[in-house]
Amino acid sequence: MKTLLKRIGLWELSLAILLVVEILVLGAINPTFLNLENLLFATSDFTHILLAALPLTLVIITGGIDISGVSIMGLASITLGLAWVAGVNIFAALILALIAGLLAGGFNGAFIANTDVPPLVVTLGSLFMFAGIATGLPGILDKLGFTAYGAAGFSAYLYEGITGLPRSFTSLAHGSVGLLPYPILIVFIFALILSVILRRTRFGRSLYLIGVNVDAARYSGVPVKAVIVAAYMLSGFGAALAGVVLTSYVTSSRSDLGSEALLPIITAVVLGGTDIMGGSGTVWGTLLAGLVIGFLRQGLLAMGVTSDVVPIVVGGLLVVSVALKLGFASFNQYRLNRRALRNREPGEGGAPST
Amino acid sequence: MSRILRSREALVLLLLIVLVAIIGFINPNFVKSRSLLSILNSSLILVLVSIGEMFVIITRGIDVSVGAIVGLSAVILGTSLNAGVPLAAAIVLTLLTGLLAGSVNSVGIVFFKVPPIIMTLGTLGIYRGSMLLITGGSWIETIPPSIKSMNGWTVLGVRGFIWFTLIIVIVTAILMRRLKIARYFYAVGDNEEGAYVLGIPVKATIFAAYALAGLFAGAAAVLFVSQIGFVPMQTGNGLELKAIAAVVLGGVNLTGGVGSPISAVIGAVFLTAIDSMLVFLKVPGYWNNAFGGAILLAAVYVDYRVRKTIEARQRQVRTQVRASTATDVTPHSAIKEA
Repeated sequence: MKTLLKRIGLWELSLAILLVVEILVLGAINPTFLNLENLLFATSDFTHILLAALPLTLVIITGGIDISGVSIMGLASITLGLAWVAGVNIFAALILALIAGLLAGGFNGAFIANTDVPPLVVTLGSLFMFAGIATGLPGILDKLGFTAYGAAGFSAYLYEGITGLPRSFTSLAHGSVGLLPYPILIVFIFALILSVILRRTRFGRSLYLIGVNVDAARYSGVPVKAVIVAAYMLSGFGAALAGVVLTSYVTSSRSDLGSEALLPIITAVVLGGTDIMGGSGTVWGTLLAGLVIGFLRQGLLAMGVTSDVVPIVVGGLLVVSVALKLGFASFNQYRLNRRALRNREPGEGGAPST
Repeated sequence: MSRILRSREALVLLLLIVLVAIIGFINPNFVKSRSLLSILNSSLILVLVSIGEMFVIITRGIDVSVGAIVGLSAVILGTSLNAGVPLAAAIVLTLLTGLLAGSVNSVGIVFFKVPPIIMTLGTLGIYRGSMLLITGGSWIETIPPSIKSMNGWTVLGVRGFIWFTLIIVIVTAILMRRLKIARYFYAVGDNEEGAYVLGIPVKATIFAAYALAGLFAGAAAVLFVSQIGFVPMQTGNGLELKAIAAVVLGGVNLTGGVGSPISAVIGAVFLTAIDSMLVFLKVPGYWNNAFGGAILLAAVYVDYRVRKTIEARQRQVRTQVRASTATDVTPHSAIKEA
């Protein structure tokens, strides 16, 4: 048990228990919730949050932050739509969208690695910039003579985005392997890959080292700049992947996809046990926390609670979980101090007994 | 020269003047006092929120909930006015809402030691959700004319709100320079432990910073309701990010201890002016964000380069001085030269 605990980690185990309890409670209130098929298909509504949060974990482990992911989602979505409208094969367009995400993340990473500007400022600037490019790009292509606003024209684009994407693409997010829908399958595979990267590779371990002490990392020969650029590229890639999956799921390409997701994405990472100051965190924690948040949202909506209450609950969860974690940590410290004091008492005042 | 270059306020102000001049050259209508005043007028909300954010960032914190506080306070103002509360009382209530919402952030950050970004991100959700709960998700469309008429007041042909904001800016700028307890913000932001050792009430200072951010957001909400005349549910959405961008653009350093209300104002006016400039250049409005973001990144990058260059030059000077003092150790040669 103890070795198992060590392998999984106490925090991850608590999250897993929380997830099970949550599903049981919601199921007790609304029995349709306990159906495995419903449960699995419900995840498609929030897989984009998971896909963006998983690689963000790596960035936050380095002590950085990337808030531009929500814009990269829209940028990837619009890149895909525009490339398709311009006559590119839909799967080539998909690859282009992912490349756009990698480039956007690479831009963030290169800026952060080569200057001392705080990551929050850099990704705040690029949050605006990417969102602006995503909304402006169709206009430019339209001026260049492409029918950038899709088949239905400009006014329809404003409401619906670029619609009429081929079924071969839009059916992707609605398909499944047995009971497992493709989106959540992608999440699991992505989490597995990221976890292996984080635990087993030199790159993964240097992320932690950079988060704990960037100078120590530099002096011990870690290529800090390259590692940071790679971390932000992964984060950009994850956001683009989220944008592509979401585009397929809602069957239209929009520049503002995912713009509301910032709060749940960061909540997933932090609730997942990653220290916002860097140096610790796991991919599985983020995955579990993302599932907790996602199902909570689904459950509340299924209970007939208006969607307005959801941010209150998610926000409250974020604050309370961090406060509790800090509280436990300082209580633990206090307990250890007490124990150390008590153990010292017999030999108090005297020389060390051995 | 290097001193001017070193101050980001001057750099951004210079850039703003150059841009205004260029746009004015292309389209002379832009530099007419009416359009310049209208830019100022539309920047007021961002100016107030940015000054509030400035207090927090100077103490090395961050507050991403101010936009939601503007929204919540605006809803409180709208509903209380519609419930028949007198104008003055409703405004006081709105300011108190902002102050209280900011203080909730303070409690979490100061007493529970929750990292500021986490705390305020959490309350961002909580405040925005509460705002929707109070109104049931619908806009407040009818607002008594008493508050809307405030927007019409003019003194010397300039809107009362511009004067009001100007006075607030000047007063805070002077207080931030002259008042001893106002310097605590800088001390805490520059070196929290050092400030503690010096006997500065660190907790109270941080508490005050977030409470002030909330209060200023409440004041911005009053302006918003008066200017717009109704309360849409998106009120204040994304305003926190704009305010942080404005403050950083104006030269308040996110690593704490640096900045002034003037920098917050310059940054906020700059960001608003860009929107108007693009209109005058006939660039579609949806490019505003791209330009705002690019200019923020360009400003922090230029600032970084300038700082590095100055540091390198100082280091060079220092090594030269050291080299020359090293040769001075042999007194004979020095005497001979003299």
